[in-house]
Amino acid sequence: MRRFFFPGYYSSPASKRTILLNIPPVEPGTVGPCPVAPDALQGIKRQQTNPARWNGAGWEPFVATLRAAGLDLAEGAAACGVYLTDAGGTACGLPHGVVLARSAGQIALLLKAAQAHRVPVTVRGGGLTTEGESVAFGGVLLDMTGMSRVLAIDAAALTVRTEAGIYWHSLAEELRRKNLDYLSAPLNLTSSVGGTLGVGGIDVNSARLGCSADQALSLQVVTPTGDVVECSDDENPELFQRVILGYGQFGIITEATLRLRPYTPLAMHYFYYSSLRTAIEDLQMLDRNDASDYSGILTIMDCAVNLLVAFDSAEREAAFRANWKSRLRGHGELGFGLCMAGHYALRPWKLREALYLLQRKRAVFPEFRRAEYMRDGKMHDRTVVFSRAVWKHWGSRNMVIPDLAMPADRFVEAVERGNAVCRKYFSHYTLYCVGIRLRPEHRPHYEMSCIPPGAEGWVYGCEFEPMIEGGVYSRDHFQAFKNAIYDIGLDLGGSYYRFGGMMKGYIRRVFGDELVERHLAMKRRADPAMILNRDVIF
Amino acid sequence: MPAFLAKVPAAPRDYSACSGCSLCLLVCPMWRSSHDPVFTPEGLAKALQCGATASELAAPIAACSLCGACDPVCPERIDLSGMIMDLRRRLANALPSDSPRPALLDELHARLQQGAPATAPVASRSVPVLLPGPVLRSDPALMAQVQALLGIAVFDDDGDDIALAIEVGVEIPQQRLHAFLDSLRGHSIVAADGLLLRQLRRWLPGSQRMGLGPALSTRAAVRSNLAPSDLYVIEPRAFHGDYERMVGYYDRLQRETGCSLSLDLQRIAIPASSSGLEHRLGLVPKRDVLRGVADDDVQARWLLQGRTPARIVVESLADRAAFGRVCDLPVVYLAELGEDPEMMKKFRHAFG
Ligand SMILES: Cc1cc2nc3c(=O)[nH]c(=O)nc-3n(C[C@H](O)[C@H](O)[C@H](O)COP(=O)(O)OP(=O)(O)OC[C@H]3O[C@@H](n4cnc5c(N)ncnc54)[C@H](O)[C@@H]3O)c2cc1C
Ligand code: SF4
Ligand code: SF4
Repeated sequence: MRRFFFPGYYSSPASKRTILLNIPPVEPGTVGPCPVAPDALQGIKRQQTNPARWNGAGWEPFVATLRAAGLDLAEGAAACGVYLTDAGGTACGLPHGVVLARSAGQIALLLKAAQAHRVPVTVRGGGLTTEGESVAFGGVLLDMTGMSRVLAIDAAALTVRTEAGIYWHSLAEELRRKNLDYLSAPLNLTSSVGGTLGVGGIDVNSARLGCSADQALSLQVVTPTGDVVECSDDENPELFQRVILGYGQFGIITEATLRLRPYTPLAMHYFYYSSLRTAIEDLQMLDRNDASDYSGILTIMDCAVNLLVAFDSAEREAAFRANWKSRLRGHGELGFGLCMAGHYALRPWKLREALYLLQRKRAVFPEFRRAEYMRDGKMHDRTVVFSRAVWKHWGSRNMVIPDLAMPADRFVEAVERGNAVCRKYFSHYTLYCVGIRLRPEHRPHYEMSCIPPGAEGWVYGCEFEPMIEGGVYSRDHFQAFKNAIYDIGLDLGGSYYRFGGMMKGYIRRVFGDELVERHLAMKRRADPAMILNRDVIF
Repeated sequence: MPAFLAKVPAAPRDYSACSGCSLCLLVCPMWRSSHDPVFTPEGLAKALQCGATASELAAPIAACSLCGACDPVCPERIDLSGMIMDLRRRLANALPSDSPRPALLDELHARLQQGAPATAPVASRSVPVLLPGPVLRSDPALMAQVQALLGIAVFDDDGDDIALAIEVGVEIPQQRLHAFLDSLRGHSIVAADGLLLRQLRRWLPGSQRMGLGPALSTRAAVRSNLAPSDLYVIEPRAFHGDYERMVGYYDRLQRETGCSLSLDLQRIAIPASSSGLEHRLGLVPKRDVLRGVADDDVQARWLLQGRTPARIVVESLADRAAFGRVCDLPVVYLAELGEDPEMMKKFRHAFG
């Protein structure tokens, strides 16, 4: 017998009866009572869980419709098992069946049948969400990676048209053969173009070039009712605005035209700080002055903070050396090593901390300098280097990465408070901070997204990444940690990269009832049976 | 020094450690031709985590070419090609003894039971020996050229039955295995079969071993004939089986000759062909079952996409055929490039 994860229900082995736990049902298409609102706290645990599994009503006739139309749908553990969870590993659910995306026409057919039979469809690209947004709790899982072809590269106009299920890395492999590169993408090899345009996409060059979603020029979208529509800022702009950064609520991105640039390897510089605040101030100073092509912060410990700065060209690097380098308050590796040695020599009781730092340095630093990824001292593919390092040293079957996206002036405070939360919940953790330059003409794209309402100029993002290190934590512990981080965003007027899925209770509190109701009304019009990516936002 | 500071290579892990990062999928030829996650090492690991059985996974297990590209990229250090070989063994063992089997399997069983062929003695234990494999053996002129270039003795028992058994999942009788390994002990080994080489690394840990490709490419005559306009196609199994060292070796080769290499952005060797089990057993691959995975030319086409080499130089004879099918460019086997006896000494670092 196939076993499904079935939150809210369990079978009593003695009686073989199914017992319904006392969880109030929430109709699809409604935003339920907010379980993290202050008035919701009395008597209930301050946490969220997986949504309830779809009950399967109408599945058989739905499948029959699809099969009669010649559409392939796979069922069973071998086909569905790979989709059990997302990168977060804390939300688990299995679809009733899986469809591999092959064309916009096939997806249109699927969505029409799904509307008619009221079968939920969960779209998945790389599945790198952490709150279960790309996990199907029953219904169909549509795997977009089946649509992974690059359709046309225009080297003169510096644009590419690609199917949206493609991984950024696969796109990079093709572009590199023509000495081209995309503008910015997550530092992760296996996020897809479509999944990223729907949520944001932050790179170490986002402080200069904006988020990945900003580089989309036009999209082919299959609407929830199965129409195939081309959209851009000029053509069907309302659809474009809702699909970009829209968490897959208003349509499935099947093709995208993206901006490109000539490929260049990176000259990297690392500066080390013992104060996070100082490092962030320096990062923001560099960004404001357009002093580098890439910038970001990665912490090893509270007292060991790395500011990375990188350049596409020798001219930009020379200008940095001449004008900005001396203003940075960080040290080189040797200088910082000596400072740390002095620091711990005077504090012998902190030996364990010193050993941990040494161990992380030995393990992690070489990853960023591996000979096979460097040529003539330059890094040849930042995403390969960073993504491999992230998975090797931070990855595990559970990844809990709450984040905050803040207006620049409130970022330091948010990060310092977030850091204190990390200290409370975990022994070791890492922070990753980058800036995102906003495009004023894209303001309509940013509505109800990871870009905080009203932000101007730059937004700063910080991911708080606890080191699980084989430790065993309860889901309650993870959830309480995430809530504590998200509360900071709420308090300081920020937003979040991952506000969907298990964190959707924050949506109303961050964006307010009026905006949420307006989007909900739009969603109901666009998706009458509320089948597309149910429970991610609505 | 505390243990955690020592650089001890950690032991490989099993499928239960898979975090679902999908890095293995990006390099997998099964994935490139199917774009179906079931046909990926990640798909196999995740399905096993969900309780799928080997027989439910028979199609991807059979479609895997054992190129080994997935092994070095896995951040959880899962021995993925080892996992697939293990699944093949499980499948083979689960087959009822009276079920119809390909003739090649019966032949293989008989050969393994028979034991080693009579081996002509090689002068001394310390001299290097060549395990050429059946494809090279079947072309005596080319074999003579290889021998002349390397100046080493050919080992009569080149273990091709053992290599085939590893690949198709047949149990190797202990007697046969020990006889083979005992005869090799003490020799430096040059092997054409990358999978056998990988296993020899485990079975004879102290020995010096090298793939035939790197061995030939150490020869000055070969190197001096490599040009910047060449696309040099690495034999993937030997490369991935000894990744850390090989990636350094080929970087030097590239720097010295200027040729471009068949490596991707993750510095993984792109296999030029992706034949799975059916092909190895001389069967016609069932395209409908494999959902398009059997298209062997996808890889060769991908290797050439956006590249304009004047010539393709291959380490593996099988790759010559794959390129021959998809382009009109001259395709040259490495040994056809030239000869020189002095270089092997200079490039001893390519031995492991
Ligand atoms: C280890 C790790 C590192 C990360 N690093 C970064 C980083 O550096 N920068 C960054 O920006 N993010 C990062 N992320 C987050 C992750 O990269 C993003 O969530 C990612 O871009 C999502 O892409 P995906 O293809 O995995 O989408 P999925 O997770 O598959 O989907 C995301 C959402 O979009 C929907 N969706 C998917 N495809 C489509 C489509 N074609 N059309 C419409 N809706 C769709 C899904 O239903 C889901 O709701 C990281 C995540 C992890 C786990
Ligand atoms: S050995 Fe090669 S074909 Fe097999 S799963 Fe790994 S990468 Fe794919
Ligand atoms: S690379 Fe390893 S951990 Fe990542 S998906 Fe593949 S098997 Fe799993």
